[in-house]
Amino acid sequence: MLRAREPDAVQIEEEVLARMVDRVLARASGSDARPISEVINDTVYNERLRLRHAKDDERSRADGAFLARLRHELPHASMDRQRALVREIVERYLDEITGHFDARVYRFATTILPYGLSGLMQGFSLRGLASELRGSSQLDDHLLLEGEVKELVGLANRGTVILVPTHSSNLDSLLIGYAIYRMGLPHFVYGAGLNLFTSPLTSFFMHNLGAYTVDRSKSDPLYRETLKEYATVSLELGQHNLFFPGGTRSRSGEIESKIKLGLLGTGLAAHRNNLLHGVKQRPRVFVVPCTISYPLVLEAASLVRDFLEETGRSQYIVIDDEFSRIHRWVDFLRGLAELDLRVHVRIGSALDPFGDAVDAEGVSKDPRGRPIDAKRYLYREGRVVEDAARDAEYTRVLGGRIVASYRRDNVALPTNVLAFAVLELQRRDLAQPDLFRMLRTIGPDTGLDETRVEAEVEKLLAQLRVLEHDEKIHLSDELRTTDGRAVVARGLRGLATYHTTPVVVRQGTQLVVRDADLLFYYRNRLEGYGLLDAPRLYPAPCSGRRPS
Amino acid sequence: MIAVLGAGNWGTTLADLIASNGHGVHLWTRLQNQRDEINARHTNEVAVPGLRLADGVSATSDLGEAVRGAELVLVVIPSQAFREVASELGDVLEPEQVVLTATKGLERESNARMTEILLEETCAKQIGVLSGPNLAPEIAKHKPAGTVVASHFPHVITVARKALSCPRLMVFAGNDVLGVELAGALKNVVAIAAGAATQMAVGENAKSFLVTRGLAECTRLGVTMGANPLTFTGLAGIGDLMVTCASPISRNHRVGAGLARGEPLAEVLDKLGMVAEGVYAAVAARALTRKHHVEAPLFDHVYRVLYEGLACDDALRELMTLPAGRDVGRFQS
Repeated sequence: MLRAREPDAVQIEEEVLARMVDRVLARASGSDARPISEVINDTVYNERLRLRHAKDDERSRADGAFLARLRHELPHASMDRQRALVREIVERYLDEITGHFDARVYRFATTILPYGLSGLMQGFSLRGLASELRGSSQLDDHLLLEGEVKELVGLANRGTVILVPTHSSNLDSLLIGYAIYRMGLPHFVYGAGLNLFTSPLTSFFMHNLGAYTVDRSKSDPLYRETLKEYATVSLELGQHNLFFPGGTRSRSGEIESKIKLGLLGTGLAAHRNNLLHGVKQRPRVFVVPCTISYPLVLEAASLVRDFLEETGRSQYIVIDDEFSRIHRWVDFLRGLAELDLRVHVRIGSALDPFGDAVDAEGVSKDPRGRPIDAKRYLYREGRVVEDAARDAEYTRVLGGRIVASYRRDNVALPTNVLAFAVLELQRRDLAQPDLFRMLRTIGPDTGLDETRVEAEVEKLLAQLRVLEHDEKIHLSDELRTTDGRAVVARGLRGLATYHTTPVVVRQGTQLVVRDADLLFYYRNRLEGYGLLDAPRLYPAPCSGRRPS
Repeated sequence: MIAVLGAGNWGTTLADLIASNGHGVHLWTRLQNQRDEINARHTNEVAVPGLRLADGVSATSDLGEAVRGAELVLVVIPSQAFREVASELGDVLEPEQVVLTATKGLERESNARMTEILLEETCAKQIGVLSGPNLAPEIAKHKPAGTVVASHFPHVITVARKALSCPRLMVFAGNDVLGVELAGALKNVVAIAAGAATQMAVGENAKSFLVTRGLAECTRLGVTMGANPLTFTGLAGIGDLMVTCASPISRNHRVGAGLARGEPLAEVLDKLGMVAEGVYAAVAARALTRKHHVEAPLFDHVYRVLYEGLACDDALRELMTLPAGRDVGRFQS
């Protein structure tokens, strides 16, 4: 087995290709055999279905021609030829998936990225550029890196790390990429949606921050398996990975309570494979949850619209949102800078692939803090064995622990607190049980006295401080140290800026909601903590996690 | 080797059954005289009078000795002592070991299920629950029965079946751990009502009415908490309810009967001499139905009879005068 700290893409591709082809061939024999031709037929069927709705571009045309050839050849293909066709399919998928990482370009990109974003924040002013060159990047002032940073850096030297952040914005990958660089860690590879590769600017960063491509519109099981195998092999070879386990940006604004387990399970698969193959050097895999808390979210308007229209599932990937329009980036980043707003990237406590807490030395602990030999979870009759059903359950446990970690490490910000208090007051006043009618009713005629809002914010702050004391949430400094009035003022400055329509504005002594949907979006970050005895405003996402 | 923790009547009966299937069993008990009796005479007269234990059963008071190397650890400890033993178990358990709980109850105060306690106190992850219409005295007499083992891990079910399955015990499989545990714990509350109805001689119609409404309350609460509604129609649901509510030897049934005779709870429990899980489960049922906003008049009245001095006939009269709603809810897939 190949071992290297910086495996090159070719090495990973070759390993994945060999494993995938072996797997398909292995499945073609045995009691519940699945003929190779069936696998190829599945690819043709799923891919043709996808192409029906795909944009007519060069890539789609090439895919169409390839599928036509498969259909033509398959009925007459010998077994040898069928094997070759499977190999070709996987090779094509791998070609698309593979990021073209280059360490030199990575260094260049990470050096340029903060200045690029800082430049956008300052509107490319010459004075700003001069100050940039004199001191540290302005991005550093607006990105607070907190939590278990030292632990993460230590664990990255003891094993392979999977960083699993919350996902609100496409900016997440850029910020995390930069945070990783700032922590002095080697690059992390991650699967980024195909849409992030469509603009030249983001495509540049994505490729060079170690991203590989994930096309979520592809439902061919062979493609999905190839993706997972790619992540597994890269982890086995010691390559740190970054997954967004929520799978997609939070549409409601709520912190993730639903985790996709497929990709997450690759951590356990890599750990198990390392043990099975007797890898001695850093065989362990650590999973490190991380929250990204934005005072304002670049794509909030599109995301909440998608959520409220309930098109989240069918549309899945919003391509034409604020992220694809550079001037919205400029507005957004300048908004952060002008208002002195900070994005909190909070590194949580590490877990092993079974969901157990891990200490700074990488030792797994049981729920009462006793050290345990976690590899024994894979034992049967004294040795490590493969058992897909067992490992899927372990991954489900891990998913539950990640969700719990997100809730604890969520950083509440003044924009969330103000939005929560205002929407709760409006809900009580309107007594309208239907969410959509309530949101449509909120507007200029339903203004609230600012003093009333301040009093509600005070109540909320008191509850939040108790929750923080009990280690159930984190608060930004303003929420810890200032009073209701200051938090309302701070929240208003945030919510009245950046978005095309200000979310809430002050009119005389009243606060008036201009965009109830966005108010709802920012409020939802504090959903699920039982604050102000407010009811849940929409059904909780089905976590897929059975209560155990 | 299989470890059975707890040498009460159910633990002892299970240890005997597993050993009869040809497995070595370490039966753990804190009581030294009980341990010595089992090892010397192969009996446990206080727990299961008249049973001669199978040869494969050996007793120990050393938890480490009982658990070390065991392929399956079966925990049969009363719910209110469960956490204490689970915590000690956490010191000796290894991650690969399979743990099955056969305790039907909920912890006071926390309202935790037994598998939740195991997850909180030990490193165990491959966990399951054993439940069903299994009166220990009947199984001890080798009468046939069926039971259910629920786990998210197929391996747990395989191991449990290997230990328990035999011509006198059919072991069915399930994956609704939550539903099976709730059904097993909540039916004890219904059994107290059934015992009271039997004692009050209000007739079979009334008894059937109370038991059926009780089942509806169990199901409503379970489903609200995330359980599969069909679990309540299975062995752990209706199956267990039928046996507990019909059999005068069921402990909870006896508690209900004693209360209906007008005896104070303390006296009833004293006479019983064993743990009646329904007495605790009634507290948890009330807390959980309130927490989850589930309507549960039967649970509520049983609680009031147990802890607030409400007389059984007053409770029945109140229940009979409540507004009657829909019999069964609309089916939602």
